[in-house]
Amino acid sequence: MKNTKIFITKAFSIGFLLLLAFSQVFSQTKTITGKITDSKDGSPIVGATVQPKGTKNGTSTGADGSFSLTVGANVTTLVVTSVGFDRKEINVADASAISLVASNSNLNEVVIIGYGGVRKKDVTGAVASIQAKNFNKGTVASPDQLLQSKIAGVLVTVNSGEPGAGTTVQVRGTSSLRANNNPLYVIDGVPLDGRNAEPGNSNGDGATPSSNPLLFINPNDIQSIDVLKDASSAAIYGSRAANGVIAITLKKGSAGPTKIDLNTSFGRFAGYMKRFDVLKRSEFINALTKYGGASSLNYGGNVDALKDIASSSWSSAYNMALSGGNESGKYRASFYANNTEGFVKGTGLQKYIGTFNGTERLLDKKLTLDFNMIAGSVPHNFGYVFNTTGSAGNLISSALQWNPTQSYRDASGNFIFPTNGTPNPLALIDGIHDKATTTTILGNISGAYKILPNLEYKMLYAINHSEGNRNVNYEGWLQGFNAISGKGLAAIANARLNSQTFTHTLNYMVDLTKKLHLNALLGYEYWKSDYSIDAQSANTFNTNLTQATRIPILYTSIFQDAKVQNPHQSYADPTTELQSYFARGIFNWDDKYLVTATVRRDGSSKFGSNNRYGTFPSFAALWRTSNEDFMKDNRLFTNLAVRGSWGITGSQEFPAGSSLEQFAFSAYNTAGQVNVLNPDLKWEQTKSTNFGLDFGILKGRVYGSFDYYHKNTTNLLYQGSAIQPAPATSVWLNLPANLINKGYEIAVGATVIQNKDFGVDMSFNWAHNDNKLTNFNQAAILSGQVNGQGVSGSFSELITNNQPLLAYYLKPFQGFDQTGNQKIGDNPQFGGDPNPHNMYGATVTVRYKKFEFVANGGGASGYMVYNNTATSVTNIAGIIQGRNIDKNAYNSAEKASSGVAASNRFLEKGNFFKLRNATITYNAGNIGKFVKNSSIYVTGSNLFVITKFSGFDPEVNIDKSNGGYPSKSIEYIPYPTARTIVIGINLSLF
Amino acid sequence: MKPNKLMIAVIALATVLASCTKLNESLNSSLTNTQTANALGAQGVALLLQAAYADVGGPFTAQDLVFSLQENTTDESLVPTRGGDWDDNGVWRVVHNHTWNANHSQVLNVFNALNKLNFDATNVLAFKPSDAQASQAKFLRALSLYYLLDLYNQYPFRNPGDNLLNAPEVKTGAAASQFIIDELTGAMANLPTTGGPSVATQDAAKVLLMKTYLNRGMFANRTAPTFADADMQQVITLGNQIISGGKYSFASEYFNNFIAGNNGGPESIFAYANASGVSANNSGINGRWCMTTHYNTNASKAPNAGWNGFSTIGDFYNSFGASTAMVGVNNFAADNSGLYKDTAVDKRIGGRYYKGLTDVIGMKPGFLIGQQFNADGTKQKDRKGAPLAFDPTIASTMIETGANLEVTGIRIVKYVPDVASGDYWGGPAGNWLQIFRYSDVVLMVAEAKMRAAAADNAGALVLVNSLRAARGAAALASLPLVNKTNVDDPNTLLAERGRELYWESVRRTDLLRFGVFNVIWQYKPTDDSHYNVFPIPAQALASNPNLKQNPGYAN
Repeated sequence: MKNTKIFITKAFSIGFLLLLAFSQVFSQTKTITGKITDSKDGSPIVGATVQPKGTKNGTSTGADGSFSLTVGANVTTLVVTSVGFDRKEINVADASAISLVASNSNLNEVVIIGYGGVRKKDVTGAVASIQAKNFNKGTVASPDQLLQSKIAGVLVTVNSGEPGAGTTVQVRGTSSLRANNNPLYVIDGVPLDGRNAEPGNSNGDGATPSSNPLLFINPNDIQSIDVLKDASSAAIYGSRAANGVIAITLKKGSAGPTKIDLNTSFGRFAGYMKRFDVLKRSEFINALTKYGGASSLNYGGNVDALKDIASSSWSSAYNMALSGGNESGKYRASFYANNTEGFVKGTGLQKYIGTFNGTERLLDKKLTLDFNMIAGSVPHNFGYVFNTTGSAGNLISSALQWNPTQSYRDASGNFIFPTNGTPNPLALIDGIHDKATTTTILGNISGAYKILPNLEYKMLYAINHSEGNRNVNYEGWLQGFNAISGKGLAAIANARLNSQTFTHTLNYMVDLTKKLHLNALLGYEYWKSDYSIDAQSANTFNTNLTQATRIPILYTSIFQDAKVQNPHQSYADPTTELQSYFARGIFNWDDKYLVTATVRRDGSSKFGSNNRYGTFPSFAALWRTSNEDFMKDNRLFTNLAVRGSWGITGSQEFPAGSSLEQFAFSAYNTAGQVNVLNPDLKWEQTKSTNFGLDFGILKGRVYGSFDYYHKNTTNLLYQGSAIQPAPATSVWLNLPANLINKGYEIAVGATVIQNKDFGVDMSFNWAHNDNKLTNFNQAAILSGQVNGQGVSGSFSELITNNQPLLAYYLKPFQGFDQTGNQKIGDNPQFGGDPNPHNMYGATVTVRYKKFEFVANGGGASGYMVYNNTATSVTNIAGIIQGRNIDKNAYNSAEKASSGVAASNRFLEKGNFFKLRNATITYNAGNIGKFVKNSSIYVTGSNLFVITKFSGFDPEVNIDKSNGGYPSKSIEYIPYPTARTIVIGINLSLF
Repeated sequence: MKPNKLMIAVIALATVLASCTKLNESLNSSLTNTQTANALGAQGVALLLQAAYADVGGPFTAQDLVFSLQENTTDESLVPTRGGDWDDNGVWRVVHNHTWNANHSQVLNVFNALNKLNFDATNVLAFKPSDAQASQAKFLRALSLYYLLDLYNQYPFRNPGDNLLNAPEVKTGAAASQFIIDELTGAMANLPTTGGPSVATQDAAKVLLMKTYLNRGMFANRTAPTFADADMQQVITLGNQIISGGKYSFASEYFNNFIAGNNGGPESIFAYANASGVSANNSGINGRWCMTTHYNTNASKAPNAGWNGFSTIGDFYNSFGASTAMVGVNNFAADNSGLYKDTAVDKRIGGRYYKGLTDVIGMKPGFLIGQQFNADGTKQKDRKGAPLAFDPTIASTMIETGANLEVTGIRIVKYVPDVASGDYWGGPAGNWLQIFRYSDVVLMVAEAKMRAAAADNAGALVLVNSLRAARGAAALASLPLVNKTNVDDPNTLLAERGRELYWESVRRTDLLRFGVFNVIWQYKPTDDSHYNVFPIPAQALASNPNLKQNPGYAN
């Protein structure tokens, strides 16, 4: 916290200096006051900008729509602007009551479609957009979480409850046979690498949960997030777009007076969203008797380990942004400091992010220079939690298994290490220090020159550099948690990720005839990415070997103290280069008929020399029926359009160097071939078709869209079995199979009530997806590892023909025999789909005077979750050793001697509804002379979940991939999801 | 519109496009084939050869690879499921039951691990190795091929520089055995004579040749092996060369062959080197005791002192005694020392005070049976607090559900735990992994003498009794090869091989060669002769059409 304070002090000092530099002092001669309202119903318009014409001075309206502005004596005209309303010029004499006319706001919003934005009404493909005003409030770890339940067909699963946990984002189902395949993220036109420079903790405890690659973005900086769902919109990103594209646009300065936005919030936990149901103390004591556990296992204490590992600290976030500018130059700078406590003690995430962007128009406004700079440092403290932990367990399993009658410490205050194989959860928190710090810089500069009024050339250069450092310490006094117990372990890893983008585009807009408008784009892009990592580990230290002799020193600070020094290892991935040529034409005939044609030709160094280039075309057409003459007199539709699109997108998200013969140095003085030459390796292709309908009825008060899509992915890049003898067990190949995703999406919004003091808005989305693998003519592939004691080598999911990807495939549970042992059939059978078939979300906004209430929730259904925790961690066998067990086992006919086995007994319906966020805001408006638009809010996240799933959270995706094949919907001793409450204040200063 | 400006723009863009890259991937930390050959030179070949040597550690060290297929399939070892532990999708039980199929994970992993050795050894030959390097590479490849042939009855074979996306040829039958013999014979002259046991010496090659000659008849006909006299004479000749070479001798103490810090000891002909405190590139030799020891076996490491899995069966244990069942059980001294009262009992059974181990953690290497003690003489307890007393009786289903499920089964600690300073119990221990041992040579010569056209049973008995004398066991008066109705009949050469080489990954091959792999023994019913060879793993079969599934297995 100390560092945080220093940081904030520094950040604000810099901010005020900048503020002074950009502020200008005007002489004051007269004051104008007034009120701005919506022409439709007279409700106040909050945040509208009022400026004297021709100046950059100005103000904005408060919560009641009123403003007060001091202007020079000679000012006669005011300019009033507000998002969603038409611009209005007004004489100062008429300023007391100004009404603005709503522009056709939904249709005029600018949507990012790649290498430029277009008006929403010109979009021919399936693009969904979410604006800052619709974001959930509270602490948001990563931008992709803002999409949860908000956009039809976009499934965002936060992999666990850990702050900063990776997310699995699927746009219209999964179309990949590779683990960890997310959509392409584009920040202000710069495509990201998708990887993360945060090194893992590879000390043999199981796979490290991945962290989110977007943590370096300040959520308060985001203006909008656009999701390009179909091929027509995504194809401009060609080779990288097969999993969808998520384009994030950051806030920019706007012409007007210098403005400072301040946001601060404080949050804390309100318990588990849902507890994993292990036995209570009294039940545990009964269970000891019931199952014949030794009475000595009742130690007489009374603890609740799940409660005792939970943190009760406050999280905090401070954000300041200043922005301003005039007609020729605009800027925005923001500073963000955030300390997010983890729900589990000793874990958490901090963020220190500065963002600075600006625009300058020069040379008679022909030349536009833009720059963007994000610098973020994200320290991340991890708990002892892993995805594929074996019998040793992790922090969560130790809390689940902890004997509720056993104290954590003995009389002299030392941690007790039980002999039943369960580590002491509080000792794990105290004795394990695992911290990563990732520092990321994303900078870009672009220049656009208008060669002709309608012909613009633009050049962009961007660099994205990220460095991650991880220090892992397991103190030697820790006992009973893995083979390193009692020795101590330290590991240091450093990773670097560096990517650069060069883009050249030529944009030509012309009216070919009176009615036919063309927006043409021609471009070239070069993208390059490098990743390297080095790591060192050591164990068997001389210090901190007993609790009594602990000294406050980290092993990573005294590496040389270790008796076993493992060799220092370093690797640099092959450089990935991508170069692309692309063209797009948008033809608009009289706003009635629109056609978009896109083609992109991509070459990637990752592919075999015979197949480096791929071509990705797409076509889309839209008929805006509501603009036809025959619809002119209709009173129902204000907007009606039908759309259709077809296109091909590609994927190249697999390891660089996979097509090349590679020899590598390894430890132990060895070198050998590690990869097989495959010059024929080529692009994975996804062909998709989309039909859509957009409508707005009742003067736009009800609006929505419907989409049907069909995606067919072929030449799937996957790791096939190498033909032995071979340098490795697998080799990257193109699989001649089809992975089909088809489904539909419905999004509807409605303004139910709109009065001056009272308003109700609702929105709802629903998506259905079916996924199937066909023409897969080879041996089935097992994935979805089941881990834990006694289940090594067990899998739960299968990749095979004519089944959904990763269909559950488990031995059948046949009840219990007479002695209470579970009976498991020998032959596995299919047990359902881990991919949700239905996803839905809803938001309700209620406004009453200065109060606003927003609730957002959503869920998924039609899928199963495999409960690996119940299989091997809280199973009944533990009771004899004095380990806690789950209530389902306790309530069953099972006996303690029953074996452990992966089976469909632990397959549960995942269907759920979550109240993700509920917020009450009081818009206090303007306070005094300088404080504008102030508001205070209380928000609750993950307030409740309705589900029959017995684990922590049915919305879970612990990475249980096997050999690079993905897994889906498996719970295994995950970092739990907490309920959080956040109080925050937002205000602006002018 | 002003066309000239448009032209300028188009030309500018064309210039940009023309400057594009060729997209040749730069590898950064790995090398191309040419770089490996040119930049590294002879030193590069040494690194490649070292990679092949390092590949030996993987398949032969881990408890779930070659060891499991060679030992858990026999009367020497099994892994009972113990309540919530060691079910592991049933893999262990089907191995002992002989009911595995082509999807068995261990069958696949062994195939891949041995072929990695096959590949890396072949790769050396593509980089202009010296004669000595080429010969060692050929030995290492032959080692891989021998085990592939033994386990799968066929092996894929690539020539150096083959296109790895093409399916390689597959050798099977007599040609497969002959190729191994030819390779080893050809390589012999250029192999080093010193530097063993971690280097492929001429003696190591001779042992592998002996094994190939000895088993050739079994490979050719696994249900009814016949042995050509010429092959037996080769075994005898090669074996006698090693014996008369005088480089090897019986260790003064049997378990000294398996301790840390003696570089394999005087019996070691080929071994995989390990060093205390130095991480291995494989699962670690410490697995050899952890796989069998109880969670609490080593008080200072409890409850992580073992994985409490692998056990042996009572009948095998009894093959050490003349006739009394459970030979050792009643022979422990009454005091806490747990020593054998009867010092005449074969020392290979263990149970005796062993300095450096017993005085540190109380353990006596060898067969662990009955109550276990700490170094201070106190009784060890299991995790429930019950006495840690290993009970020879294992559930007939191999699924333990009783109150004693943690302690069933006799345990075997053959590799003496590296307990120096208490550090290397679960970490990088320094015991060398024995692959070929002198006593095996002696026993193979004895067996060949008995199998020769003119059987020399007396000569064989002399050799066997010389070994028994070194192990503190009484001389045998007669020695049949095998009792075909009881694999654990103590009075046979097969039993002598079991007593000497138990848990050294030779038992399955022995049972096959003695023609008794399909008979019953404890916890294993009779089985079909198609289990005499493992199936080609389904994945391998799918990727290489030249491989043919072995008879009796579904594709």
